[in-house]
Amino acid sequence: MTSVTTPAAPTAVGTRLRAAAGRWALSAAGVGGVLALWWVGGSATRYVPPIGEVAGELPHFLGQSSTWVAVGTTTQRVLWSLAVALVLGTAAAWVMRRDGFWSRVTASLTAFAIAVPSTVAALLALYLFRRDPLGVYAVVTFICFPFVATMLRQGMRELDRNIGEMSDVYGLSGTARARHVVLPQLVPYVFAATRNEYAHAWKVVVLAELFIVNSGMGYEFSQAFDHFLLTEVLLWLLVFVAILLAGEYLVFRTIERYVLSWRVL
Amino acid sequence: MRGTVPASGPADGDPYLELRGVTVKHADRTVVSGIDLALRPGEFVALLGPSGCGKSSLLHVLAGLAPVAGGALRHRGDEATDGLRGRVRVGYVFQDHRLLPWRTVGQNIEIAMKAAGVPAAEWDERIERFLGMLRVAEYRGSWPMRLSGGQRQRVSIARALAVEPDVVLMDEPFSGLDEVTGRAMRQELTRLHEVASVPTLFVTHSIREALFLADRVVILSHGPARVLKTLDVPLARPRRHEDPALARLEAETVADVLREWDLTEGPAS
Repeated sequence: MTSVTTPAAPTAVGTRLRAAAGRWALSAAGVGGVLALWWVGGSATRYVPPIGEVAGELPHFLGQSSTWVAVGTTTQRVLWSLAVALVLGTAAAWVMRRDGFWSRVTASLTAFAIAVPSTVAALLALYLFRRDPLGVYAVVTFICFPFVATMLRQGMRELDRNIGEMSDVYGLSGTARARHVVLPQLVPYVFAATRNEYAHAWKVVVLAELFIVNSGMGYEFSQAFDHFLLTEVLLWLLVFVAILLAGEYLVFRTIERYVLSWRVL
Repeated sequence: MRGTVPASGPADGDPYLELRGVTVKHADRTVVSGIDLALRPGEFVALLGPSGCGKSSLLHVLAGLAPVAGGALRHRGDEATDGLRGRVRVGYVFQDHRLLPWRTVGQNIEIAMKAAGVPAAEWDERIERFLGMLRVAEYRGSWPMRLSGGQRQRVSIARALAVEPDVVLMDEPFSGLDEVTGRAMRQELTRLHEVASVPTLFVTHSIREALFLADRVVILSHGPARVLKTLDVPLARPRRHEDPALARLEAETVADVLREWDLTEGPAS
């Protein structure tokens, strides 16, 4: 008679908790590293405001209505531009999904749009739209849509043919096919495109506002910088980073967990 | 299980499905060459052929997923050369499960039933019944990718049967399963076929599987596939894997097939 001893299996909950704790520890280490660099920079130079000074100013800064007006203005520009970029990008991807004349034409235009630097696009928009805020929307949309198009085209080209055959056999067509077969396959690509271009749009919008308009966070950035108000520059930077991280952790990851819960990770 | 009866009614003696000189091509390459085959109502026919001989291509043609390059296909005596899709309900079990991974097991079956026009009032009962028959009822609310390969294939079979098929096409559905699961699935399939009596074409390259499951085995040649021989399986049902008669028949058929596929010098001793 032999006996077999097996090591006690770690519980699934315990494993998940340990993994989550590890992830949080790494994130905390990353933030800690940035703060340490800031602290060193603030102590060793005269042009980086110390952490304590910026932290002391933060409540007053966040209590000003003008701060939130600028944040709201820029957020609205980002969201509308991103929405239009997603629509245009999806349309371009649809045209480019199969080889053909219009596919090649659209692919060339998309490649051209990708190659245009954001600064050049902002200057062109200034020339075309003068100081009209519409120029900001145009720049952000123009810079973001080709990346959306490229990513979604990839998704449309990689639709699973085997699943397509199954759908044919079982007579799935029209809206049922779009809803149950095509869209779910595109969701990861739409997610990746939205997430990437959300961050991209925030970076571009600040640049466009700096050149084109007298409102929004980009304009406030430039005003603070022009007046050498480095504490205010850093306060705006903190707000900027907080908005991006909130978008990533509170919005994208939450939706992703729900929509892609079928995946085995 | 339901059998669709055309308005005019089938002519007496017409097979459910008949292939006459069917040829299938991929680009310019012939993969199936002049196949003659008949599937009678309620019959279970296995298409036995070596890997890559064109068996799956033939099923694709029958399902309407690929065109016929030559010959004719008739359904209950009526012309159906462009395939069965749209004429009758086809239950297709692929070599891989082909479930929608982003829909639960139950939703996968519901979607197929809805597309097939099964009344919504019957969905719940049918899902319970077929998942229960295939012993995966407890996974109704699970995501397919959380199931084992065998369980997914069971769900795929449940889907094929739940659409109330007029004909079932199966393309080596158990080839990716381990031996024990494969045996259990074959046993389950024979039981289901006895209950449902839906005409079934089952593609396989396993001689034992073909003999265990089928009423008739059609032996195909190396590609391009053509019919070498048709064998009526003289075994009573229900069949058992351990039946010595099955083992004897398998040995005889193996010798026969080796000869037919030119894999031996002469007749087996």
